[in-house]
Amino acid sequence: MKSLRAPVVANAEVAPGIWSLWFEHPGLARACRPGHFLNLKPGPGPDPLLRRPLSVCDVERDRLRLVFRAPGRGTALLAQLRPGDELDILGPLGRPVRLPKRRTVLLCGGGVGAAPLLLLARRLRDENRVKVFLGARAAEGLILTREFSRLRLEVGFATDDGSHGHRGPVTDLVVKNVHPGTGQLVYACGPLAMLADLARRVKGAEAWGFFEERMGCGTGICYCCALPRKGGGYTRFCQEGPVVRLDEVEL
Amino acid sequence: MKNHSVRLRGVEFANPVLAASGTWEFGLRFKAVSARLGGVVTKGITVEPRAGNPGPRIFEFPGGILNSVGLENPGLERFRDEVLPEVAALGTRVIVNVAGFEPGEFDRLVGELDREPVAGFELNLSCPNVGHGGAAFGQDPKLVEDITRRARARTDRPVVVKLTANFTDPVATARAAEAGGADAVTVINTLFGLALNANGRPFLGGRNGGMSGPALKPFALYCVDRVAAAVGIPVIGCGGIMDGRDALDFLSAGAALVQVGTASLVEPDAAARVWTGLRRLCRDLGAESWADIVGRTRRED
Repeated sequence: MKSLRAPVVANAEVAPGIWSLWFEHPGLARACRPGHFLNLKPGPGPDPLLRRPLSVCDVERDRLRLVFRAPGRGTALLAQLRPGDELDILGPLGRPVRLPKRRTVLLCGGGVGAAPLLLLARRLRDENRVKVFLGARAAEGLILTREFSRLRLEVGFATDDGSHGHRGPVTDLVVKNVHPGTGQLVYACGPLAMLADLARRVKGAEAWGFFEERMGCGTGICYCCALPRKGGGYTRFCQEGPVVRLDEVEL
Repeated sequence: MKNHSVRLRGVEFANPVLAASGTWEFGLRFKAVSARLGGVVTKGITVEPRAGNPGPRIFEFPGGILNSVGLENPGLERFRDEVLPEVAALGTRVIVNVAGFEPGEFDRLVGELDREPVAGFELNLSCPNVGHGGAAFGQDPKLVEDITRRARARTDRPVVVKLTANFTDPVATARAAEAGGADAVTVINTLFGLALNANGRPFLGGRNGGMSGPALKPFALYCVDRVAAAVGIPVIGCGGIMDGRDALDFLSAGAALVQVGTASLVEPDAAARVWTGLRRLCRDLGAESWADIVGRTRRED
């Protein structure tokens, strides 16, 4: 596998500390499925050394969209990229979601975790009933709300401070919408605490979480991403994930 | 240069670039890259399976990383029965890295795997990740010689000893490995390191880690230069090699082969690119054999 080069088309801050970057790469646009992630080199040379894993948020013709938080030096460099700059990309990596048919699928996004759920929602909506729940600390942290609305799905919001939608964790909304034994699926992306909360509270529906936080290689060779598996051992979430069944891991 | 191959105890490696242990799994993820290398060194294998350390297992610093994977591996039996058949079909030389917690585990692993289609063994006496293991063996020249001799007695294939530079002079342990019958020494393994979180607690789940990456290269090169001058067996240079020029430096300092590790985490084809780059540089230098390059740092004009 060789790294790819692609030009940045647009890059802008869409919420405090959250960036939306579009780039063009026809091959990747064709190949990327919901759940895939890309490993991006923040800059040339040995510092920062490692790539940053980012999930694909959306695909539109030859263009792909990444939406990411920039808490560290590497992601801050990605945030500084301007149209015409070149991205250094390894991917697509990880195992994509196996898309279901004729199911009710609940999507749960916490903060920037809404990003990979957009592409998933887009690819699920024709053959499933999709409900989306987005949460953040406050209204200004809710992202991609217009994009989800345009998909004409049921969308619910939750904020910790009650400034938009339900006051409380977004997981409350998911739990309210779970009907045990009806074959529902839950896909969630967000902070570890949110995923742990879902794993604890969702009963009677198959729940999956996106794990992309800290990796070494992103390709399965270094064994540096490790999620404790129930019954012992670890799941390499770059290789066996990044979408992992929440009842199979210890959170 | 017409012939790029390098020999260890009669075993021919098509070129001097190997994938380093722990950074290339078992060579199976990127088979086309593995096939272009002189060989691959597997993840460390222990007698019993190991789950490895809790996360986080990796920390990044400018120019390098700190890892504490904790020797996660399927153990001798599953490696031999389930992994090795596929690894043997790679079309490249496979050196099995073996690690133990008792001196006797090394020769047991070598003895059991000697019947399998492997090119040779690398004794991991220096993994700093595991509480009471590798580090202690690799820091004590007497233990190094003893473990090497016992492994030597169990195989006619090449035995490579991977040396640590953690609080020990690799020249002393390299001499011990040579005395014990080693066919080569790998210089160096990762260096001890500690990273803290904002609360002042260890960042890595395994507490301490092993440093690797380009930031280590000057120190690794210094070690290779000294060890190569001190022993008669080949040295395998390892530590921060990112491109052909880095590999050339290690050969100049006296290494007969090199291993590429951390670079493969950033570019899956890094080791193959190192080989392409090295070959081009040697051609530009007009080298006719590896002897023209290896050890030229100390050669008089």
